[in-house]
Amino acid sequence: MTATKDLFTTLEQETLICGRCGYCRSVCPVYEVIGWESSTPRGKISLAREIFAHGKRNKLGEDFVKRLDQCTLCGACANVCSTCIDTRSLWLELRKRVADEGLAPEAYVNLKNNLITNKNISTFSNSDRLEWAEDLDEEPEGLELEEEADVCYFVGCVSSFYPQAAQVPLAICEILMQAGINFTTMGGEEWCCGYPLVSAGFVKDAEPFIKHNVAKIKELNIHTLIASCATCYHFWKHACAEELKGYNLEILHTTEYLARLIKTGKIQFDELDEVVTYHDPCDLGRNGGIFAAPREVITSIPGVELVEMQHNRSNSLCCGGGGNLQSVDPALAGHISALRVDEIKETGATIVVSACQQCEQMLSAGIREAGLKVRVMDISQLLQEVLL
Amino acid sequence: MKTEVQEQIKKEFDERATDSAFECSFYTRDLAPVPDFLVDPLFKTRPDMVVRPQNTAEVAQILKIADENRIPVTPRAGGSTVYFNSIPTRGGILMDLNLIKGIKALNKDEMTVTVRAATTWSELEEYLNRQGLAAKSYPSSAPVATIGGWFSMMGYGVGSLKYGNLLSQLRSIKVVFPAGEIKIITSETSPSLDWFACAEGTLGIITELELEVRSFTPMCHYLLQVHETKSIASIITTLKDAAVKPYNLHFSDKYYNQAMRKLGFTAGQIEDANIIAVDYEGEESELKEAAEIVAAVVAGNKSVKMLNKNIALKEWEERFKALKLKRGGPSQLGAEICLPIEKLGLYLKEIDKVSSIYRLGLTSYGHVVDRGHLTVMTMFYADETKKVSYVIGLSLVKKIQDAGYKYGGYPYGIGLWNTPYLKRIFTPANLAQIRTRKKTVDQKNIINPGKVYKWPFLFHPLTFSLGCNVMAATRRICGKGEKR
Repeated sequence: MTATKDLFTTLEQETLICGRCGYCRSVCPVYEVIGWESSTPRGKISLAREIFAHGKRNKLGEDFVKRLDQCTLCGACANVCSTCIDTRSLWLELRKRVADEGLAPEAYVNLKNNLITNKNISTFSNSDRLEWAEDLDEEPEGLELEEEADVCYFVGCVSSFYPQAAQVPLAICEILMQAGINFTTMGGEEWCCGYPLVSAGFVKDAEPFIKHNVAKIKELNIHTLIASCATCYHFWKHACAEELKGYNLEILHTTEYLARLIKTGKIQFDELDEVVTYHDPCDLGRNGGIFAAPREVITSIPGVELVEMQHNRSNSLCCGGGGNLQSVDPALAGHISALRVDEIKETGATIVVSACQQCEQMLSAGIREAGLKVRVMDISQLLQEVLL
Repeated sequence: MKTEVQEQIKKEFDERATDSAFECSFYTRDLAPVPDFLVDPLFKTRPDMVVRPQNTAEVAQILKIADENRIPVTPRAGGSTVYFNSIPTRGGILMDLNLIKGIKALNKDEMTVTVRAATTWSELEEYLNRQGLAAKSYPSSAPVATIGGWFSMMGYGVGSLKYGNLLSQLRSIKVVFPAGEIKIITSETSPSLDWFACAEGTLGIITELELEVRSFTPMCHYLLQVHETKSIASIITTLKDAAVKPYNLHFSDKYYNQAMRKLGFTAGQIEDANIIAVDYEGEESELKEAAEIVAAVVAGNKSVKMLNKNIALKEWEERFKALKLKRGGPSQLGAEICLPIEKLGLYLKEIDKVSSIYRLGLTSYGHVVDRGHLTVMTMFYADETKKVSYVIGLSLVKKIQDAGYKYGGYPYGIGLWNTPYLKRIFTPANLAQIRTRKKTVDQKNIINPGKVYKWPFLFHPLTFSLGCNVMAATRRICGKGEKR
């Protein structure tokens, strides 16, 4: 079978190919919350067809742009599309067209300006990227810009600058140190991966970010890169491929790398008597194809019982935090998160583990809101707790 | 529609009612991309407002207002048909039923489930499978088609060969009638269940259905490659009449398979031939017997070759994705015809002729839906951005209908676009009967008007036929076409 991604032609052609069958509607979390046909993937594609394939440019208005931005880019629609449209590419192309027309929402423009200024999604100086490392009991040698390290850990903006997520790099460092891995980070030379710009439609503006990060990796002579952010991982793996052509760089999500460390016996764990459920981040699971590694890691902990949610693996529900949705419609993002929290509740798990800081932040807020007694943890934090 | 009525509904339904032109514009089409210039002069497909009721009582509340004010109401859930079955023709209220979904009750002793009408077949199946049960049948658009919607279209699809159409599996339905009256309908009541089975939502709005379910059982899948097209019907007949009834039995002709292969969708090993897929479900002994039946068919026919089990399984797993063929389009036109099985060979021969005369590159596939019939979908590629050739293409759909009619076939589904074929679908007595039903139940003609019972003025069979034939002749003389 041909992969859906390989089939994408042009925006115009794909909108014409859409059969309006509505399979996408049945799995779209945005439609589940909003309920109007205009919020369904097929509805948006139908109007895009009018505008771009039939040339009815006057229909490109504020209402439509709002609906286009009300999307987490979770890829559930692509997963079920009966005409094999890579809808995720289609949404990105539509956002690009909107930005090219100067119709991007203010939140996206602000995000772009901030990224261009600070090189990260926060308002902090990029040179503070390693502030989280101050909380390490012992700072490892070569944490910043160590040439020819065996592994470079791409921390990502959320983990670098947001205190709640900073627990993730701390956990990863501790595990890597315990396993005796010679690793480094890009420190203040790590720039945002560029995905927030691409998903806001500013594709050209993302190019310097890709070029910079790839150049640094090459400069450091790094050949294995790990990322704990599912989106950074996905972006490195796919969007940076062209820039990396001819350079040998293995790109892994931390769950894959941790699974490798476990298999080679470099880390071992104490027993943990808990029921755990795993939330597949969209960019790691459905869009990245990584389902087994995180499950292998969780079930390698003695005593842990892994229970699946009703929707899991490629059918997993989105946490609501993708596609820059929070910046344009935080309430909608929260409602989507609540749908996932309902499924977490159903499992009876005491811990929900994920592998993406954004998912963890969304689920934490949702679980707090629902008043559940469930801990939300990154997979690395779970391992850190039981590390022998 | 009067502004004060719109305001009243908006007040009563708050965020679940809208008259925004932007929102309403998304309810003007189903799967069929018919150009505006053909539709707009004839019909008002954009509703004046859209309302999303949450339960039966709210459906009744809306219908009462509509009845008092003679406002047309078009029910819509999955919106996954192609004949404008759930598209307004006179504006009015579009009742989006999608909030009326979920499982209401499961009775394991009686082996029945009660569901809200807008539950999709995939949702029901997922729920039932978790209970060790399964639906007896479902449509090939199960991920979006709703229980209520499919029943309103008679409900023939996957599983119908073994378990009958949906009507035969239903115990009762809850219907809201045009004036807002709520009734439970069974085969014993008047009106009875069969009134609603292919009424396409024109008699009332169904909000709940109680249907029979079956135990979840193992399955086995076979894929047969058939070189001689004329053998398809006899093989299908042998399989459907055998001691073990298939759960699903479908075919695709070699042109369909060629097109799939061209697009990279064929899993391999399939030669330039027709395909018959046969799937069984049941106890192990039944499956064992089924294996012997299929083996005997293969052994007894030199034109038949059994394909690898993995490919057969893949074919089954892809059963909801026939539309992927559309990637070769970008548009696709065609007709779905209910055809006597024994006439399939002749029909396909006739389709060959039509394909060659009009250079259409026709492809066909079909499902056996009962012991005597299959529904055959015959299609050709088009391009909706090329307006003139696309409109001519629309007229050529009639040539496919004519080929079916010649061999005892008739359109499956009516809606608006198949009303010119009403006399092919119904006998005069049947037509009179369903028209009387409509008059009895919906005197003001407010529920889904413009569908099923009567062709619009310009769609009179004679003028429709003349128009289509003129355009077809134009294509025949001047048109470029596609070779198979």
